[in-house]
Amino acid sequence: MFSHVTVAIYFVYVCLGLIGLGIALLFYMKLKHLSTLKKTEYYQRKHQDYFKYLQTQLYEDQELPLPPGKLVPLEKRIIQDKLMEWIEQFKGEVRTRVIELCYKAGFVDDEMEKLDSLYFSRRVEASYRLGMMRATEATPRLLDMLRKQRYSPVTTIIGRAVSKTADQESQLMEMLGYMLKHGKSIHNLAADVLLETRLDSSKILLQLLDHENPDFVKVALVAMWGQAVPEVIPALNRLSVDADEQDVRAEAVKLYLSSNPVLRDDTIKQLMSDSNWEVRAAVAKSLGNMHAAGSIPLLRRAMQDENWWVRNNSAESLAQLGETGFELLCETAQRGSGLERETALFHIEKVMSEGSDHRALDQMVTFNKKRLIYDRYFGVIETSKPVRKVAAVGGDYSA
Amino acid sequence: MRRLSLYVKLQQLEEITLLRDILLIYGLFAIYYVMSVNVIYFSVLALSFKNIWTVYRRSVFSKFNTLAGSDLVPSVSLLVPAYNEEVTIIENVRCLMTLNYPNYEVIVINDGSSDDTLEVLTTEFNLTKLTNPEMRNSIDCTAVTGVFYNPEFPNLYVIDKGNGGKADSLNAGINLSHYPLISSIDADSLLEKDALIRMARQYMENPEETVAIGGDVRIANGCLIENGQVKDFSLPNKMWPMFQAIEYLKAFLGGRIGWSSINGLIIVSGAFGLFRKDYVIAVGGYRGGYPGEDMNIIIKLHRYMLENKLKYRIAFCPEAVCWTQAPESYRILASQRQRWGRGNLKNMIENYDMAFNPKYKVMGLMTMPYNIIFEALNPYFKITGLIALVGYVMLDMTQWKILLVFGLINFLSGYLFSIGALILEEIAFKRFIKISDLWKMLFYGAAKFFGYSQLGTLWRIQGHIQFLRNNNSWGAMTRQSWKEKSDTAKSA
Repeated sequence: MFSHVTVAIYFVYVCLGLIGLGIALLFYMKLKHLSTLKKTEYYQRKHQDYFKYLQTQLYEDQELPLPPGKLVPLEKRIIQDKLMEWIEQFKGEVRTRVIELCYKAGFVDDEMEKLDSLYFSRRVEASYRLGMMRATEATPRLLDMLRKQRYSPVTTIIGRAVSKTADQESQLMEMLGYMLKHGKSIHNLAADVLLETRLDSSKILLQLLDHENPDFVKVALVAMWGQAVPEVIPALNRLSVDADEQDVRAEAVKLYLSSNPVLRDDTIKQLMSDSNWEVRAAVAKSLGNMHAAGSIPLLRRAMQDENWWVRNNSAESLAQLGETGFELLCETAQRGSGLERETALFHIEKVMSEGSDHRALDQMVTFNKKRLIYDRYFGVIETSKPVRKVAAVGGDYSA
Repeated sequence: MRRLSLYVKLQQLEEITLLRDILLIYGLFAIYYVMSVNVIYFSVLALSFKNIWTVYRRSVFSKFNTLAGSDLVPSVSLLVPAYNEEVTIIENVRCLMTLNYPNYEVIVINDGSSDDTLEVLTTEFNLTKLTNPEMRNSIDCTAVTGVFYNPEFPNLYVIDKGNGGKADSLNAGINLSHYPLISSIDADSLLEKDALIRMARQYMENPEETVAIGGDVRIANGCLIENGQVKDFSLPNKMWPMFQAIEYLKAFLGGRIGWSSINGLIIVSGAFGLFRKDYVIAVGGYRGGYPGEDMNIIIKLHRYMLENKLKYRIAFCPEAVCWTQAPESYRILASQRQRWGRGNLKNMIENYDMAFNPKYKVMGLMTMPYNIIFEALNPYFKITGLIALVGYVMLDMTQWKILLVFGLINFLSGYLFSIGALILEEIAFKRFIKISDLWKMLFYGAAKFFGYSQLGTLWRIQGHIQFLRNNNSWGAMTRQSWKEKSDTAKSA
């Protein structure tokens, strides 16, 4: 028993010691942080005039001056942070001038040295800063770091730095290879990282679309969202039909359709019966935008689709396809049943509630025609009396 | 007569010997119990320390300005269940509608409030009732009486439904939601502007395997709040919220970072979490009828993924912060903790089969046993421990020194854990700047072991009694406007 108590007493002493150390460490960290904050404020005030002067010189031909006097490490860090902020904000010539100033002030060399540090944290920080300063010569070292790095949030930090510093397309390809080799489906994140590059992204995207690795193709497809790159349309067309991977094809179709291409009837039919719901939904959505009145029967059938997005997009497109499309919606709402009826009712009400706000004459005429159809099916009503809702039976698990 | 009295004395002696033996065995058991709980606590804390550097790097060396405006970020439906939240709801919805996030919708679910929650929302945002709202009915929930919408605020929907509880409201929100990710947010909480984008970034690092991500919940009492944002971080001025601030810090930084690193997280706080909608639907949505729906959904997700042999992770994102109002009165705090006790017990009883079952990996071999033995049953070990101590003293089996050592071990190991959590905070976040804040946290970190901790035990037992009595009520909860709170913080 005595030995137990002795062990317990030792444990108490250990706890007391650790608590004492912990409290001391806490105060040390807190005081150090407070002191850094205070000094940061002081140095920011001290260099305010220098920053103002730099701002006035950004658009002049003269070389940007170095910071005045001998600088302590914290001062250097504050000036470097400000310059990095500007590099992110500006583009073109101004950005290049600020980058040159970073080189001249020795900030790039300092960070390059830190890439050899024994501490992992310092190496990660250096890679982040080199990326922010667009230090081209750091790219090979960063790629080497990325190659050795096991998958973690640091992978993205280094990948982003490579993307910012790279001056050759092959370096970006290598970076993507290292990021994607871990088998995680990080295509959106990789695309976001890739788009940080200073190089011409449309050329790289074209290369990626033709790549044998489907992961590279997926990165290109997601990277192209919201970007108008006409050169890639043929490649998208090819992928829409030939791609082996379902999700690659779905993404390609969505993207291809967003460019409003002219589709042949049999292509539309083929895509609308695709096994992937994303493809069917994308086609259903695009048919309304393309005003493809010939596809009304296809859309009518698609309103019975098992997937919510396909039904919803089909109804939305029907509502966009003039009086014929709208009448078909009303017919479905009156004679159809279950989920297709609910979808039709929702979109009819949407058209009726949005329609009354139209100001332009042609829109008003179109709306009034639809209103007449509505009245024919559901009776003349004062203002916007709703169609009675039919309660859903069962559940829809496609959402 | 003498023989009889001798027999009685012998009988008593035998009984005392038996009692002594029982107490001795219990004493040994208690020692191993305390040792085990400490080993687990410190192992989890060590894991938190190992991972805090990753958290730090992720939060400092990632810029969110490009991501926050990118189409590559997944769309999210924010679900905000609201029951009698007329005082705070407008400010909270305004806060949610101005997050740094490219594509999301806010769905407020009025859970049959008896106050004017619905009216203040419809008036403020000029909402009108949709005639045929498209509810997908993926999950069963109480009948929805209306969906309110205004095209001028295209990302805001308000669902009105009969009272069915928080879980039921979340299910109704899922039925209306349009996006693949859902985020549950308490109506009395404020999200930091970058909270959602930080979480989404973590999701994007491994979207296929991530089924849920929990955010860090912090106590807003005492902070200066302006326009739905926490402008100045400060600790609460009152005693009860201050104890809770320490408790949250310990649980979230000291505990959840560590548990998440081994994929053993058992709870994603209901105040702020992000989920893959397809998996939430696959497990049947949130379970109604009992509190503790936030723990329940995570257990169900673990079970589903492990039973279907799917690779997954339930992550924790401490840099995504949500500020919440902590109860300031004894009555409301007690009611909240009793509710948590009930929820915890219900979840443990419902899922006892997972404990010690290797099929459920970390969840079965560590998380569930830990939660049953050291969380759900903890109050009973504490009480029996106390009774045993009285027994030792009465039977003269112990000395004051041993009692003191035992008490000290309990206090010091707990306090050391608090210090660990404070160091984690200081390494990665440094939110509380003043030295006085540090003193205050150190004081309350120690003081909580003298009264507050014991009250926690009492509340948990009361919760268990309520559970046995089938008392499923949510309990008392009052709200204070953020503006009032902020005024109090300013004047303090």
